[in-house]
Parts: sequence; C-alpha cells; structure tokens
Amino acid sequence: MTHNPRPVNKKFWTPGVYVMLAFMAAGAVAVIARFTGGIGYVSNLSTARPWGLWVGVDVATGVALAAGGFTTAALAHIFGRHAYEPVTRPALLTAVLGYTFVVLGLMVDIGRSWAIWKPMFNWNPNSVLFEVAMCVMFYLNVLYIEFLPIVAEQFKNSVRLPGTLALLNRPLEFLLQFADRLLDKFMWIFIIAGVVLSCMHQSSLGSLMLIAPTKIHPLWYTPILPLLFLTSAFSVGYPMVVFETTLATTSMGLADEMEILTPLIRITIFTLGTYMALKLGDMMVRGTWVYLLDGTYQTNAFLIEIILGVIVPWCMLLSLRVRQSRSLLFTACSLIVGGVALNRINVFIVAYSPPVSHSNYFPAPGEFLVTAGLIATLMFIYRFVVTFLPVLSGSREVSV
Amino acid sequence: MIRKIMVWAGVVMLGACLCSAEVWKAPDQEKAKERAKELVPFVDAVKDDCKVLRRVCLLDKGIDIKDVETTYFHLESPIIKAREDHYGPVRFAHKRHAALIGDCTACHHYRPKDESMSETTRCSACHQEAFKADNPQRLGLKAAFHQQCMACHKQEAKGPVNCTGCHLKNVPDHKELVKLPDDADPFQVTAECRRCHDAQAEDMLTTAHWLWKGPSPFTVKHRKDIQHGKGTTALNNY
Amino acid sequence: MNINRRGFFKVMGAAGATAMTPAAGARAWESAAPPDAFGCLVDLTRCIGCRKCEEACNRVNGLPAPEISFDDPTVLDTRRRPHEKSYTVVNRYFPGTLDTHDQLVPTFVKLQCMHCQDPACASACIVGALTKKENGSVYYDVGKCIGCRYCMVACPFEIPAYEYHDPVTPRVMKCTFCFERISKENGLPGCAQICPVEAITFGRRDTVMALAKQRLKDNPGKYVNHIYGEKEVGGTSWIYISSEPFEDLGFPSLPDRPTPKLAETIQHGLFSYLWSPILLFGVLGGIMRRNEKKNVHGKDKEARHDA
Repeated sequence: MTHNPRPVNKKFWTPGVYVMLAFMAAGAVAVIARFTGGIGYVSNLSTARPWGLWVGVDVATGVALAAGGFTTAALAHIFGRHAYEPVTRPALLTAVLGYTFVVLGLMVDIGRSWAIWKPMFNWNPNSVLFEVAMCVMFYLNVLYIEFLPIVAEQFKNSVRLPGTLALLNRPLEFLLQFADRLLDKFMWIFIIAGVVLSCMHQSSLGSLMLIAPTKIHPLWYTPILPLLFLTSAFSVGYPMVVFETTLATTSMGLADEMEILTPLIRITIFTLGTYMALKLGDMMVRGTWVYLLDGTYQTNAFLIEIILGVIVPWCMLLSLRVRQSRSLLFTACSLIVGGVALNRINVFIVAYSPPVSHSNYFPAPGEFLVTAGLIATLMFIYRFVVTFLPVLSGSREVSV
Repeated sequence: MIRKIMVWAGVVMLGACLCSAEVWKAPDQEKAKERAKELVPFVDAVKDDCKVLRRVCLLDKGIDIKDVETTYFHLESPIIKAREDHYGPVRFAHKRHAALIGDCTACHHYRPKDESMSETTRCSACHQEAFKADNPQRLGLKAAFHQQCMACHKQEAKGPVNCTGCHLKNVPDHKELVKLPDDADPFQVTAECRRCHDAQAEDMLTTAHWLWKGPSPFTVKHRKDIQHGKGTTALNNY
Repeated sequence: MNINRRGFFKVMGAAGATAMTPAAGARAWESAAPPDAFGCLVDLTRCIGCRKCEEACNRVNGLPAPEISFDDPTVLDTRRRPHEKSYTVVNRYFPGTLDTHDQLVPTFVKLQCMHCQDPACASACIVGALTKKENGSVYYDVGKCIGCRYCMVACPFEIPAYEYHDPVTPRVMKCTFCFERISKENGLPGCAQICPVEAITFGRRDTVMALAKQRLKDNPGKYVNHIYGEKEVGGTSWIYISSEPFEDLGFPSLPDRPTPKLAETIQHGLFSYLWSPILLFGVLGGIMRRNEKKNVHGKDKEARHDA
C-alpha cells in the first residue's frame, strides 16, 4: 500500500468553520474576563473545589484523547506495522494540537500563568504533578519535532517569500533541508521517547488523585488508578483515530479508510478488554460494587462510564460486522472515546466530594465558554493544517 | 445648629472635669496600681492537697475573712502587659468577693510547698509567663485570672462573663485618629468626633446632659418631669 | 526509519546499567517530620468563643479588616471556614449537652491549618512552594508558586484558600503558624499569645502531646479519649482535646496513614533514577531495531547495505 499524504484541496471557509469562529470569539471574551477579573470572576471554583472543568476536561481529557499519537506511532514505527502509517500523521497532528491546548488550558487555569516556567527550576520530586508537568513539557517538544518533517516536506525546495523577505529564502531553505536530513537520522530517538514519556504521564495523571483519599469516591479511588489511566489511554488511542478520521473524511469528502481502521481496531479489543478486566476486577477485589446501586449521581456516572463507555463498545467490537461497518465502528469508537472522557471527568470532578465542607460544584458559563472556545480553536487549526499540509492520505481522495 | 454648639460645649465641660480630677487621687486605687506593678518570686513547687483538706487546713489555722488585708486589687501585671495590652485592669473587690463566697480556697486552691511561706499567696506567685517549657501544665497569669473569674461567674450565674463586663477597653491614642485643621471651628470638631462616635452622640441627645431634665437621683422621688430648672424656667446663663 | 547502530547500543547500555539499580532507589517510605518541632494543643473545653484569636491573627498577619467586627458575637450564628482573608475562624457547635439550667452548652472550635507532620500539600506542590519547616510550620513561599491549586486538592482538612479574584498574582492563603514570630526566641503565635484562657497551649509538639495525655488522665470523664491530630494523617502539629466527640464538632474522620504515602511510594518506586523509563526506552528500542532489521532484509537489502 502506498502511503502518500498530501494537502486536502478543498474550500476552507465552510459554515462549520464559521460556527467554530463564533465559539472561538465567545471563548476569547471569557479568557479576557478571566485575565482581568480573576479566576473567581468567570468560574465556580472555590476553596473546597479548586479543580473543575478546566482541569477535568481541558487537561485530563485532553491528554487522554491525544493518546492516538503515541499509540499509532508505537504501532507503525516501533512494532513495524507500516501498513498503519496513513493514520500516524493525522493522529500525530491531533496529539500536537491536543497537547498544545492542554498547555493553553493550563495557562487559563493556573493563577499565575506568567510563572508557568517555574517548575523547570524549582523541582519537587515528591510531586506527581511535577512529573506530569515535566513529561508534558518534554513530550510537547518531541511532538513538535516529530511534526517538523511534515512541514519540511511541504515547503522544502519551494520557499518563496515575497518582497524583502525573499532575502530569507535561502537560509530558510537551508534550515528546512538540514532539519529534514538531520531529523531523519535521529527520529527514532524521538519516537521512542514520545512513547516512553506518554506512558509516564498518562499513568501519572491517575496518580494525581491518589493524594486525596478522603475526597475521591471509593468507586474510583484505587491504588491501581495509574494503571487504569495507562490502560485506558492505550484503549482510547485507536478509537480516537477512528473517531477523528471518520469525522475528517466525512466532512472533507475523502475516502473512508476502513481497510486500515478495521484491522487497527482489533488491537483495541485486547487493550480495552485489559482495561475492563482491571476495572471490574478492582471493583470486586475492593468490594466497591456495594455502592453501584446507591442511585446517587456519582454511582450513576460510574455505571454510565463502565457500561456505555467500556462494556457495550467492547462487545460491539467483538463482532466482525461492526468492525467492517463504517457507521457501527464509528458508534463503538465514539462510545469508547466518550467513556474514557467521562472517566477523566468522573475522576477529576464527579468523584471529588470534599468531606468537610460538602461543597458542590457545577461549572460556570465562563468555564464552559473557555473550554468550548479552546476546543473550537483546536478544530479550526486542525482543519487549517490538513488543508495546507500533507497530513491526510490524499491518494484515496474521492471526487465529490 | 444650637444643638451642635451645645454638644461641643458639653464635651468641653467633660474635659474640664477630667482635668480637675487629676488633682485628687483615690488612695486605695493608687495603692492597688502600685501593687499590680510588683513582681514576686516564682513559686515552683506547690502542696497538692485536695480541696477538703485545704479547707480543713485553713480552718485549723483560723484563717478566714477577718484576715483579708487588701480590700481592692487591680488585676493586671507587667507579665501580661509585656505580651498583649488591649484592656484596662480589672478592678477586683477582694474583700467583697471573700465575704460573698466565704471560702478562701475557691481561689487560693494550693499553697507553696515551702512551709515557711504564707498560707495564701497572690495569684502571680504561681501563675506568671504562659507556656513555660519546663512547666507546661501551669497556667499563665492571664489565663489563671480569666479561668478563675469566668468559671465562677458562670457557675454561680452571677457577675460578668464578657470582656467589657470587667475591663475597660484601652482608649486608642487619639492623636493619630483625630484629623482636624489647625483652626478648626466648633462644628468641625463636633463632626470629627461624630465620625466615629455617632451612636454615642445620638444617645447623648436623650440624656439629661442634653435635655436638662429627666430622671435623676437628685430630684424629689426621682421624678422625671421637672417643672423648674435649666430645661424650663431657669435662665441659661452659660 | 534508520537506527544508528552505535547510538542504539549506547542507549541500551545506559538502560541496562540503570535498570540494575531500581531496588536502591525504591526505599520504603519514611516520614520526614522534623524531630523537635513546635505544636499547639487546643483544649476545646476551655475555649469561650471570644474570637480574640481571629482578631490577633488578622493583626499580626496584616490581613484586611473584616466586614463584621470581631466583637460582634452574631458572627458565630453561621458556620464559617478559613478563607483568603482570615487564616483562622472560630465556630460554635451545640453537640447536645445541657447545663444545670437546661441550656445547651456551646462548644467552640477554632479552625486553622493543622500543620501536618507529613503535609499532603507540600508533597503535592509542583514547585515545592510549600514546605514543612524545622520548627513545624508548613510554610508557603509565594515566590515559587504558579497557582496550580494542587495543594488545595491534596489538603485533607480543606484549609488552603485562594485569592480567586486576583487576575495576575493570586496567592494561596493559609495559617503560617506565625513562622517568623515563632522562629524568634520566646516568640508565640498571635492566637496563642492573645488567648485569654489558654485554650491554645504552645510548645514543643511532644511537650503539648504529653500535656494532652496528662489532662485526659487527670480529668477522668471530662474528655473523650481521643487526641485529634495525634495519629490523623500521620499526625499534625496542632492537636485537639474535647469533651464532645470530634465527629459532632465538624472534624473529619481521617485515616492514620500519612496522606502522601501512597502516591510518593508509587512515584519513587517507578521513577527513582528514572529506571523504568530508561528500561522501557531500551526495550522499545530493541523491538524497533529488530523490526527494522526484518524490514531491511525483506525489502531493500541492497540500498541499506550501502548506507
């Protein structure tokens, strides 16, 4: 199979893009409000509920759903399944954008955004968050380096800046050529480093909440929380690829890539099965199933997460008919993506109930606007990049 | 307008009264003040008798209210003032309390272990600095006063238990607080006082100081409606 | 993908060497509580709810004036929590005991940072802005803080508050144990110094702990047989004794295990000397190289041979 990605030659300004712009504008207003009135001005965060939507969705869910990047890279480049290379580039782009927005989300959420560089010089090796921050920082760099060849591929031999900027043509051309050649030699280091760093911080995101044993509902609080986070990240990687490839190919009128996606998702049966076994086994071992029928919003959220987000899609994937049907596969993968996203939201927001002040939390409109704005910006840039850079496999583009 | 002038005049008169008071000093108060300044040697070891034994002991020695020498104390000490100083001293009627309670051991609960020392000592002999590292269970003087007085007042449902029931609050230095121009007129002065003491000014308007009539211990049968006097028939000649 | 042969063996060698030493790094978790730290004993049977401690705290820490005066007792009608403008608050509880006049007896509870022996906030803090000092105080260094609020997530007592309405330089606000004051000779925390009844006893933690035990022993039946903070979350510098059960006074029931223990054990077990990432790097590198070789032999043997 020839893997020949190229820019999508499609109209950029569609109605969907205008909708994204509207969300981006609303989000920008909320961000301006946050940086003039303070976090308290736009959010419902309090002493007892210091982390809310921004950490639960922008950061935790964002990192989890960017898992497609390292799982496909591991499969295609490390385990040598080159057949899957067509999906590595869109997955890489998703990861680049996902992590960039994790950092942007953090900038909004942390009180002293200007001090975000301080963990580089003030180390606290006891802190789980310190490890996560270091990994995310290094991984973001690794991702950009991995993405650089795509930029180089498009623009080398064709740097034509207009007017006085033309002076820069030669040095830029040289830089691109040099980067392309140098990176080709050392790319293996970055690919493996990317996978290692991902394994580290995907699991450590789960360790974050181990510091609050009295605040996290026992259905979620388990010493194997980091392992559950890691296995769920493995599980959500390929479904996320299916999810976004299906969305992208549909919205841009490209050929579906079922001949890649169908075999790819078979791996998920194994990873999701492991995650499911660990999660159910942990529930049995710790005897937390007694809470299942409490009927509180917390246990209901757990039931939705485990049944709709794990068990149902896993059973669906067992069937070859589902794996081969575009719509059924999309449904199953959406359920998995939703299940893992809900898991992160559950662990960071729903499961968190401070026992002293019993403080309740529901995100303020300002929080929703910031998050929606960030997601819209991410989608906007994704569309922009695939339109102008060789990311999607254009060879199988169908005429509409 | 006239009211304001009169308030101001009242303040001047009050000030004049206070100034003249400096001339005469109550001797027992002066003595109590001097006494409160004294520091006595610390009694480390006490004889830990039970309350009954202690009472019997005092009975045997024939110590009772007739032996009370000092009628009046100022409950304060340099030990307390060194740390915090927000309230004036408590004026403690020693003899009166002794007579009311009739039991010296209510306060003089232990005696020094050293038999040569007096049977009853002052509080500050045993209770001094708080949180002494070598003697952490011994209460400091401030806590000893408060615990003793308040516990008993609560127990007997008699006597004040709130801060200002026993203490006057220290008056803050008004040099810093009062903001007036050099040649302030009476209205500015009154307004400046009322900036903080508005409630007191309002209260004052209902008193005899302002109305020149009202219930008084010096009227016949404490009558309120005085027919003659400054409020009515007398000439306001000041 | 082209793996440079020499580079690969270098990396593998380092991985192997480091993987040998995990046992040395993953030592059993040990408490880092300072040995001779200060502590405070709060005797709830003594507290009269005068709120002088709140007033003194406000004064010595230069906090903003409260909306309602410290002399106003109606404040006690509502339950309050420490917040960004007051490090300590006193709450009134009526656990149900009646006095001789059939009136409910109030119990007053002073709340502030407990200054844990092994503070979860200090373990959590990404930059080490929160540290347990030798004198026992859990100290906040605003110069390091980035405002992630993980300390607030971690604190089992829900104490650290945040200046949510400061857009650029918000601070985490909590009791400092009057760090500067108690660092001086004979220095006392503002609250302990002003307390009129010595409801707060300040001293070395083991001294006040012994004092608490002595009071429980000397007054049989007066206190519940529990020193709150002796064992909770591995022990706290501030400890409480009470005549009413602590559950009825808003104290959270907490495990004896130090809060940071589990997360720190996992973190240090996995990441001491980065042994696991390096091992994983080596293993993945090995797999990659094997697959690479297979590919080379299978496909374009000649072309690669020249290179």
